[in-house]
Parts: sequence; structure tokens; C-alpha cells
Amino acid sequence: MQNSRDVSGAPARNTLLSAAIAAALLGAAASQAAPVTVRGTVAGSLFTPPVNASNPANSTASTTVASTYAGAKVCFDLNNNGACDANEPNTLTSATGSFQLTSATNANVIAEISTSATNNGSPAAQRLVLRTSAAGITPVSPLVPATITVTPLTTEVVRMMENNEALGTTGGATYANAKASLAQRLGVDPSVVLSNPASVTGAAQKAILAESVVLTNRFGFAAKMVDRADPSPASLKVNPSNPTAIQIPEAQQVAMNVEGIPRYDHIFVIMLENKATSSILNSPFAPHIDAILAANNQFTNYFATGNPSEPNYTALGAGDDFGITNDDQWNCDTTTTVNGVVTPTANYPQDLPLPDKNAPGLQNSPFTTVCNDTPVVNHNIFGTANLFNSATTGGLAWRTYNESMNPGQDARTDSIADTAVTAPDHVYAPGTLAGNITPVGSPTLTLPLPAGLYKTKHNPAMAYQNVRSAPEFKSSNRTLGGGQWDATLLHTSVYSVPAGYNTDQFGSDLSSGDIGALNYVIPDQCDDMHSITVSGTDSATGHSATASDCGGVGSGIDGGNDPAPDDKADNIMARGDSYVQYLVNKIQTSAVWQNQAKREAIVIMFDEGGATFNATAGTTFDKTNSCCGWVPGTSSSNPTNVHPLIESPPGSGNFVPDTTVQNYGAGNHGHGNSIFAVLTNQPNAPKQIKDSDAYSHFSFVRTLQDMFGLSDPEVSASYVNRSKYTESFIAANITNLPEYMGSADTHFDAVRPMSHAYAIASGFSEKQSLDESVINAGTTTNPPGGNAAGTVPPQLGPDGNQTNIWALHP
Amino acid sequence: MPALRKIIFAIAAATTFVAAVAWSSAALAWTPDKNSLAYRLASHDPLSAAAVVGQAMFFDKSLSDSGKLSCASCHDPDHAYAPANGLAVQPGGKDMKLAGTRAVPSLRYKDFVPPYADLLDNPDGVSAPGPGGGYTQDGRARNRAEQAEIPLLSPNEMANKNGAAVVAAIHASSYADRFRQAFGADIFDRPKDAFAKAKEALQAFQTEDYSFHPFSSKFDLFARNKIGGTFTPAERRGFAVFRDPERGNCAACHYHGAGLAGESGLFTDFSYEAIGVPRNAGIPANRERGYYDLGICARSDHPLPANARFCGMFKTPTLRNVTTRKVFFHNGEIKSLREAIDFYNTRDTNPERWYPRAHGVVQEFDDLPPRYRANLDKQGPLDGRAPGSKPPMSEQDIDDLIAFLNTLTDDYDPEQAKAVGQTQAQTRTPRPEPPESSK
Repeated sequence: MQNSRDVSGAPARNTLLSAAIAAALLGAAASQAAPVTVRGTVAGSLFTPPVNASNPANSTASTTVASTYAGAKVCFDLNNNGACDANEPNTLTSATGSFQLTSATNANVIAEISTSATNNGSPAAQRLVLRTSAAGITPVSPLVPATITVTPLTTEVVRMMENNEALGTTGGATYANAKASLAQRLGVDPSVVLSNPASVTGAAQKAILAESVVLTNRFGFAAKMVDRADPSPASLKVNPSNPTAIQIPEAQQVAMNVEGIPRYDHIFVIMLENKATSSILNSPFAPHIDAILAANNQFTNYFATGNPSEPNYTALGAGDDFGITNDDQWNCDTTTTVNGVVTPTANYPQDLPLPDKNAPGLQNSPFTTVCNDTPVVNHNIFGTANLFNSATTGGLAWRTYNESMNPGQDARTDSIADTAVTAPDHVYAPGTLAGNITPVGSPTLTLPLPAGLYKTKHNPAMAYQNVRSAPEFKSSNRTLGGGQWDATLLHTSVYSVPAGYNTDQFGSDLSSGDIGALNYVIPDQCDDMHSITVSGTDSATGHSATASDCGGVGSGIDGGNDPAPDDKADNIMARGDSYVQYLVNKIQTSAVWQNQAKREAIVIMFDEGGATFNATAGTTFDKTNSCCGWVPGTSSSNPTNVHPLIESPPGSGNFVPDTTVQNYGAGNHGHGNSIFAVLTNQPNAPKQIKDSDAYSHFSFVRTLQDMFGLSDPEVSASYVNRSKYTESFIAANITNLPEYMGSADTHFDAVRPMSHAYAIASGFSEKQSLDESVINAGTTTNPPGGNAAGTVPPQLGPDGNQTNIWALHP
Repeated sequence: MPALRKIIFAIAAATTFVAAVAWSSAALAWTPDKNSLAYRLASHDPLSAAAVVGQAMFFDKSLSDSGKLSCASCHDPDHAYAPANGLAVQPGGKDMKLAGTRAVPSLRYKDFVPPYADLLDNPDGVSAPGPGGGYTQDGRARNRAEQAEIPLLSPNEMANKNGAAVVAAIHASSYADRFRQAFGADIFDRPKDAFAKAKEALQAFQTEDYSFHPFSSKFDLFARNKIGGTFTPAERRGFAVFRDPERGNCAACHYHGAGLAGESGLFTDFSYEAIGVPRNAGIPANRERGYYDLGICARSDHPLPANARFCGMFKTPTLRNVTTRKVFFHNGEIKSLREAIDFYNTRDTNPERWYPRAHGVVQEFDDLPPRYRANLDKQGPLDGRAPGSKPPMSEQDIDDLIAFLNTLTDDYDPEQAKAVGQTQAQTRTPRPEPPESSK
């Protein structure tokens, strides 16, 4: 078989013409094996990443346009190795991305896009191999070439076919089924899903382009694996000592399953507050969460970063708490005050104006422009990588959905009290609150909106200057409905209500599909089990009274032992539990979730375990340490030897201590452990799996980066902050990580993704220091050898079932 | 295509394998254990100029009217900054013939103490807010600078007439120049400012010097997953007793977990409790009938009768280094750790062991007037169980508890422990020494 002309630099039209002639001649000459001629375009998207600067004036949003690749090498991939080999018919695309090519036998057509190719005239940002299925090539006649496109989406169809991924069982993952699945996932017509994006318009084009950007990144990563000759996982399994190098088809699968975490379209992370595992499990105040845990999947050994809230949410945004150990406002310690003169430090906020009461429309803002702490710990984190910037750089959207914000408020401030907004107390009839015998709550109690239902300390994006300065920041912080005061929120007297204000943007977005890939769903401080003081006047008595289910310390202190609850600390658990059920129902009945071509997941988690000690007999203690990226080294008040590591120079793989972060050794000490539930919409996904390996917020942040294809496991610096602290990373940097020296359990101390991608050795014995069950076994409150409800035994060897909770198939 | 799917799942499983290979070899490089202790001991910043002055002051006997007392006389660095002797209260005053009124606490692990509040959030995140925080056993000082003034000026301690007298002593000392360098050339011209700075200097020393917060006990190795931190069976059992609400319940106040602001393992929740410690007849002040040390409500800012609910309450001390103490509780009436635990265990079941009899009747709570006894803590083991009933802890429990409390002693050296087969092998924390000039 004669190659088409390799005509680098030749005029495109000549290429096509000569190819057509050659094809015609060949067609005439070869009578038996009908040659296949295709003409088409290598097309995709040109994505200009956002600029995430500290100063909003220097930040820009990303842009995406339909594009074609010129100078890409196109060939029939006869041996399906994802490369244009010398014996395979190939050509280069023209300036408009077009090509024509003939082969004696049909095969997948692929386009090798090197960095010398151009994408809409600009050098291609990364090497990339795109493919289109042979099954999609329908020759009309030898003289009329089949028309095809080679795009990231056609590549995805090939990958899906090779992985048997398509909805429905009829015929399996045929070309038609895979194409239909992809179309259904994106909500576009199958007839256009594989078209040149430039030829599609409107919402369909937008959806295709968005997908194209994500796939371009994933397949770029696949090409990178091939280029650096990563070992083939399949080959490793057969021949671990001498594996062959990975090739494109396998690499494109791995790129969709980084560290065992499959790609999901959307994740909803429902954040709850301050409950230990032992407070929730088997509690009559948490029947819905317990039922969800029983029916779905659970990580049973999950740890927080610290105590109180803000360090945990900060860590959930970027895998570190940066020495923040309190709940103070995000601009704290960005000024110095000497003799009454306030001077901004280098960390002073750049997202000016600050949202204080002098800002337009914020006459009642509670924000203070000067906040000083002791010890001094900068709360405005500058220039660090984080999930939000990573998402937008990867062409993905993020959201925080926040309940009970004041209409018209700035998301950078806490919500405030509003007497014009009122709600009746929640009344629980007998038998509706952990078997209550008498009603709980007062039907005659009216509660005005209290301050602080929305708190910036509970917003995982808030600490980061680069996120607050990003163009999408304001529009990405949205409202969440279902709150006690929603019905009268628009009666507000404190801020002017923006036109068209929607108190439940979350509900609307679920309907329209305008959700983020990463969605933090953040209930207010009553619905998240946190508790604040909510009081009003009871018209029956004329006296002040507090809400039935938002008071107390929120410990669940007598959870499980109290048939007639009078303890508001327990009641708020029931309230939060009901709200979780509301959110789960809302998500699960949405079109997004019902579309099983989309991969959707819900996480139900707590910012921290909260209680580490429980004074009531019969209850259990929770672990006081943490794991997986924590700082186990010191809790001295002036730690001088523990620092975050930064790559210097960037891209070098060399890490040095960043000594500018204050109070660092006091942060990231951990708290544990707490509930972590995973629900997915995938019908064949594992259910009722409990993974007992230890994970932390840092593990979760790493998992999210894998899930959304934002990082490369071979490049530590591609993971944000402490989420890069794998065993091998720590080992390589141990001299700069004194907190890990002398570790008795390096697996426990290190970060890993929440899959079983990194298998625990069979001889492993978890040495989590404050293990409850062993210590409590044999006490008067726990039977010898047994575990009290909610305690977690230390793990011996790998997790028993080794089932990946995030897997899409059994 | 079932066959194809099988292949792909094999791929997914094998991806796992790549990483596992990489990680297992890495883990071996994680065990520079010997370095770890050395690193901890060596790794702290040089003291600030203020702290260097504070260090000199801390050891300077000329800062007392008697010329015989320095801070270190009672707060001995070799005894976790607690007294070396077994006296319930320490001598002081102009001629060293007056006595203190309360036992001297250790100065270690004070770094996270918040200022006193009647309703302080409990760091355990569970217990209801209550009186907590502050310095001294009644919380009257908000910070260590304020606290420093109390011994400096108390007539029965260092007995300086006033701040100016302290400043004059500093002015005459060999570190006067350092004081000027730290606080300004004209600082001695402004005695009020100078006294404030002197107190800040003492605070800076305690804040900055490693020896005030070494976190170098076996418990610290245990809590941080470090090599050498594996508890013995007795220590594990003792930790269970420590936390079991039905036995020791020590953790209810001597909270061992993570608290606010990044602190963890302080073994106090900063709270105040009245526990009815027997009166110590050995304290001279107690010879006066009708005199009672009432803790919080002895403070001028908590006058009676409005603050009666706080009477008899004293601060929960840390239990770190508790096995090195020679006297216990605010009045030093109890002289051994086992006796202190016995008191908790049998105060209610065997009150005759602890309180004197008058006319054949045991005088319970003889150091707390009856009108304040409602303030007594009711948490176990002091839960008011009937005399003659079974104590919450067995003798085995107490042995185990002491074994656990031994793990809270600083300067634990696991290498030495291995070598000599002891659980309490110690290595010496670098001690701050009196500067050359004040020797």
C-alpha cells in the first residue's frame, strides 16, 4: 500500500487533489480489497486559559472557540497503536485542518498533533493524539470519499468503545451506542455530537466545546504518558520487572481514571458541621444519613484538618490550612497597627473595595477592614494553587451554593440579622424526632432571621486571593434553597434586593444543568448541625424563646440514649439530617442526576469530627489525631521548623521550605474522625462498600484533582499544597519535612487518593495512635474484644474488600 | 464485549500496581528516628532581644527584696519549672520568713491559655462553656506579663515595693545595657514603661524558649505516630482508665485531645472546678480560723456575694510532668500522685480517709464553707456516690493510670528506653542557663 504524499509545507489543495487522484487510481486498479478514502477535518477547541492574578484587574476569564488543527499528521492507524507508523497511510492537514487520505483497509483514523502543528494558527499547546472510529467511516464509493471529522469527541467515542462504555446493553458499546451515550451526556443531538464544532451552533456548540476542552486536556495527558514512556499498566501486570511502554489507546483510558479515580461530570459536596462518626452512626437523630450510609458507600476512617471550622474549609479549597487555626475573617492580619496608624502588609487584600459598610449598597455590612489576631497569622492566602483556579484552568466551572444569605449581600461577608425576615419555629409532632413523646417546638414562636446563618469561614474558596480576584468568583457563589427563612427572605430590610434575585439558584441550576463540575453545597449554620442562637418571641407566652432545633453546643451528647429529646444539641442533628435528605432528594430527582450518561456523585461529609471527648457514660471517644498529610510534629506555640514546601524554581521538581507562612506548625494538626458518604448515579457502580483505609481532607482534595484530570501523579507539583504529600514525596523531601521524621506509620501519615490505587502492604498494622476500640475494649463501657458503635478498629493489612468506592462498574 | 471489558479492568488494577511499587521503596527512607529527637531539640529560633532580657531576669535573685529569690527558685527548669522541694508553699518575703498561700505550678505548656472568662468555650467542643482560662490558680492574670507582676510585688514572695523597685534592680544589673538595647536608650527614664517592658520580657522568654514547651514525652511520640511511641499494655490500659467516664474520667477536665487554635494534648481544658481538697493545716495562712482560700471568688474582680457560684474553684493544671511533682492541688495538701488519685477515687466512698473528725463526725469538705458546697463538681469519679460504696477505680486501674501518667513526662528517649528496658528513660532538654552576667 502506497502512502499518501508526505507533503509537509505543500499547499493543502495540492495535497487533497493529489490524494484524490491517487485514491481514484488505486480504486481503479484494486478490484478486490476496496480501498477506503476519507476526507475531513481535524477540529477541536482553542482554549485560552484564565489568568488568575492576585489583582482582579489583571485577572481574565478563559475563552473557548471552535478550532481546527493545521499541520497535524493524519493516518489510518492500521495496528491501532495510536501512532502514525511509517507504513501507515498518512498526510498532514491543511491550513484549514482538512485532509484527504486513502487506505487499502479501513481502520481508525488518527491525528497526531505535535507542538509544531497549529490550533487556529497558534502553536498547539500540547502534543495530542485524536482518533476517529473506523466504524464511523462509511465510504460512499471509491470516487466519493467518506467525510469524517477527527475531534476530541470522536476520540472519546473510540475510547468509550474500547472500554465498553455505553448506555444500554443492546449491542454493547457499538459506535452508534457510544456516540448516542456521549450525545445524551452532553445533551446534544447525536447527529451533531461528532461534528466539527465550528459547524454547530448555540447551546449544542457550547456543550461540545466545553467537552472538547476537557477531553483535549485528558488526551494531552495521555500523549504525555506515551512521550515519557510510562510503563504500560497492562504490561506491568504480566511482567512487572520489565514492562513495555504505554501506548495511546491504553493511555487514553488511564487519563480518564487517574489514580483509580474515574472522571465524573459533577460532584456535589454537602458540608456538615462538627459531628464525630460516633455521634451520627446509629443515632436516632440521624436516621436519613444512617440510611444513606447503609445504602451507599462510606469511607469509615476519615479525618479532618483541624479545629475549628475555617482551617478545614480552607484545606478543602487547596489542601492546606496555611497556619490558620481560628475562624477569623479572611482579611485578618493583613495590616499592622502602630500607634493607631494602620498600615497594609504585603498580604493586604487586592479585591478592593473591601465589602465593608462604606461599599456601595453594603450599608449594613458586618465586615471590618482591620482585624488583628494574636498570634499574627495571615488569613489572606496569596498566590497558591487551589482547586478553584485549577478547575477553571482545566475548563471546568466550580460553585459554592450557600443557604440563607441575605439577598443583596456580598458573599465575602457573613450574613446579618434581619427583623423583617421571620419564620415560624420548627415543630416536631410526637414520633417525628427520635421517637419524641411530646411535641418539640412551639407553633406560636416566631423567629426573626438571626445573624451568621451564612459564614465566610464555611466557604472553601474564601481564603484565596486568586480565587476572590477571579472573574467568575462572584457568579460562582450562589444561593441554596430549603432554608427556614426562605419564604420571607425577599422582605429583607438590610440590603436592597437585586432584580430577579433567586433564593434557590441551586434548584434552578439543577434544572438547567448550569452547575459546576465541583459544587460545594453549604447549608446554613442551623441546617449544617453547627448551631447558633436563634430566638424570638412566643406569642402564646409573650416571652422570648429559642428555636427548637438550632441551639446547643451540637454534640449529640446523648444521641441514641434519649427517647424523649429535650436536648437541642441533639435536635439540631435531626434538623441537619432532614436537610441532607432534602438536598439528596433534590439532586437525585434532577434531570442531571437522572441522565445516567452523566457521572454524578454526592458526598456527604463533615468539616471536622468535633467532639474528641464525650463525658456521657456509654458513648465513645473519637480519635484526636489525624492522618494523611497532617502535621504530626509539634504543637509548640512558636514552631520554627515546620513549613509548607514550594517548588523552586517552578517546574524543577525541587522543593524548598516557604518560611513566610506564619504559625504553620500549629496548623494541620487534624481532628477525627467523621462521616464521609459517597452516592453516585451510576447503576452498576459498587454499593454498600465501606473503605476502611485512612483518608483526610488532603486525600479528598487529591481525589478531586484526579477526578477532574487536573493533576499528573508523576509530577508532585501538579497537586496543590499538602495534597502532594504522598509517601514517596515525603521520603524525597524528608529533610525539609521534619514533622514526618521518625514516623512509625508512613502510610498513615501520607496522603493518598481515596481509591485503592496505592495498595497497602499485607503486613501493615495501622498505628493510629489514639485508636478507640482497642483502648476501650475491656472497659466497663465496652465489652472486651468488642467495638462500641462508631469506633473504628485499627486496620491490619489492606482494606478488606479493596473495592474502589468511586468506581463506575463492579 | 465482555472480553474487552475484562482487559480494561485489568488495566485499572495494574495502574494501582505501578504506584505501589514506587511507594513501598520510598517508605524505607522515612526512618531517621535518631535525627528526629535531635532535630526537635535543636530546632528553635534564637531568642528575641526581649526574651534574652527575660531569661536574665528569670534567674536574677537581685529582683527580690531578700536577694535570695529569683523566678527560678520556685520554677526550677530542672523540675519542669516547678519547685524542686516538697513544700506545699514556698518561703519568701523580705527575710524569707513569709510563706506563700498556694502550691507553685509548673510554668510549662502555658502557651495556649486564653484569658479568663466566666463562660469560656471548652476546647473539647462538647462541654458547656464555663469558667476557664487565665493565669495563676484563680485566673486573675490575663497573660504571663500580667502574671509576672504578682510574684515580683507580693510581700510574701519577691516583695518589691513597686514596679520602680524592680526597674531599679534591673538598672543596676549587668544586663541593663541589654534592657536598653531591647527597649530603648531612654527606657530607664520611664520607670512605668520600663516595668511594663520587664514583664513583657519575662513573658517573651517563656513564650519563646523551647524548654517551656518541649512536647518531648512518650505520649507525644504516641500521639504523633512516632517510632518509640508504642504504649506498653499497662500504659494502654491506663489511658483507657484516664478516659473512661465510669472510672478515671480524668479527660473530662485534663483534656488530652485537639482543642482550639491548633493546640492538642495539653491535658487541661483550662476550666475551673471545686473538688473539695482537704484543708492544709501546714499553710500558715490556714492557721487563721475563718480564712478560706476560695479561688476565683478571692479575686477582686469577682466579689462576693455576686460571684458565690465560683467559690472554691481552682484552675485545672496540665498533667504533663505530673509524675515529677511533689505536692498536688492548689494547697499542696496531697503529697504523692498515688494519693492524689486515691483522693479522687475515694473522697466520696471513704471520706474518713481525707477529712478530720470532729465529735466522731467526718468533717467533709473542711476547706470549703458549706454555703459554697453546691459549687462542687459532680462529674465522676467525684460523683457523690455513697460512703462505703465501691470506688470507681480498682487498684489495678490506679497502677495502670500511673503508668499512663508516666508517659506525660518530658525528655523521653525511646533509644535509651530500649537499651535500659525502662519506660521512663530520660534525656536532658537543653536548659536555659542564667546568663553569664547574672551568675
